Amino acid sequence: MLRQPAAAAVADEASRGDDELLARIAAGSQAALSALMARHGRGLRTFAARYLGHAADAEDVVQEVFVTVWKQAARFDPEKGRASTWLYRITVNRCIDQRRRRALRNFFGLDKLVEEPAAQEADAEAATAAKQELAIVRDGLSRLPARQRMALLLRAVGELDIGAIAEVMGASAGSVEQLLVRGRRALRDHLADAAAGRERKSS
Amino acid sequence: MTREEFEKNRRRFGDDIEAWPAPFRRQALEFLAPQANADPDDVLDGLVREAALVEEDGALARKVMARIDRSAARPSLPRFLVAPAGIAACAAAVLVAATVAGYQVARLQDQPQDSELLALASGERLPDDGSSAIIPDPGEEDSL
Repeated sequence: MLRQPAAAAVADEASRGDDELLARIAAGSQAALSALMARHGRGLRTFAARYLGHAADAEDVVQEVFVTVWKQAARFDPEKGRASTWLYRITVNRCIDQRRRRALRNFFGLDKLVEEPAAQEADAEAATAAKQELAIVRDGLSRLPARQRMALLLRAVGELDIGAIAEVMGASAGSVEQLLVRGRRALRDHLADAAAGRERKSS
Repeated sequence: MTREEFEKNRRRFGDDIEAWPAPFRRQALEFLAPQANADPDDVLDGLVREAALVEEDGALARKVMARIDRSAARPSLPRFLVAPAGIAACAAAVLVAATVAGYQVARLQDQPQDSELLALASGERLPDDGSSAIIPDPGEEDSL
């Protein structure tokens, strides 16, 4: 039975690079897996939560990702790409599977909830203007087409460059640039509409 | 100055920063300066990053370890079979197998019916014992 590794062992692993951590995970080091989770878990979960629009699904996806990493770390080849790109690629694939599963459940009427009600969130978080602005951004993100949202989140949250995003999404660099341009334009339009709406309300 | 403080002052003094009291105006201009010089795409990405943040789940490592433990304890189905595509492929395979089996059964059942139809066409009486009603042509037997 696996037990959580001691904090000291995890701290010891934390100084290692991602490639080295993956090599150690492939050799069976749980402390290395914990260190990798501490480093990338939050980013992957943020990406999955905002891409799927469903916190519970995102948590499930991230757990699956790290189980996959544990089982398949030996397959990672540092010469083919960065570890973060590999992690995001696994996450993207799991997110797509999760969306399909949810769509199937919706089709059969097993699920009613598709995405978190972003508009309600915007109201609930309207305590301050800054929080409201962030809620509007979240609302705008949730309304973007899936691939535009994915590209924007990989850029902003994953901090991946165009080449890495193209690799993760299995698309060309040109189409990723197009997705980013369209996504940003749609998000700016959404922010402008929201600001105009607020002005109308206040006047 | 943080974004929240900036927004609070904006509500307090209005959108025109030039009209704000001097100390607040200076702080606001300092706050806005890096944003004014930055690439607008980077500013938007920063906003997306800030908006996307979710509460950290400290139990991730424990849950992943428990999941690895569970998956090691029981042999699971191949991932392909539990994915929607796998389920659809399995359903298609079952359908094809059922169709082929149906044709086979129907063909076996059709054979006696054919002989009955031939007997009817040649005006022969159908035997009660279930044996074939078609009597081989004697000339045919001789030729063999």
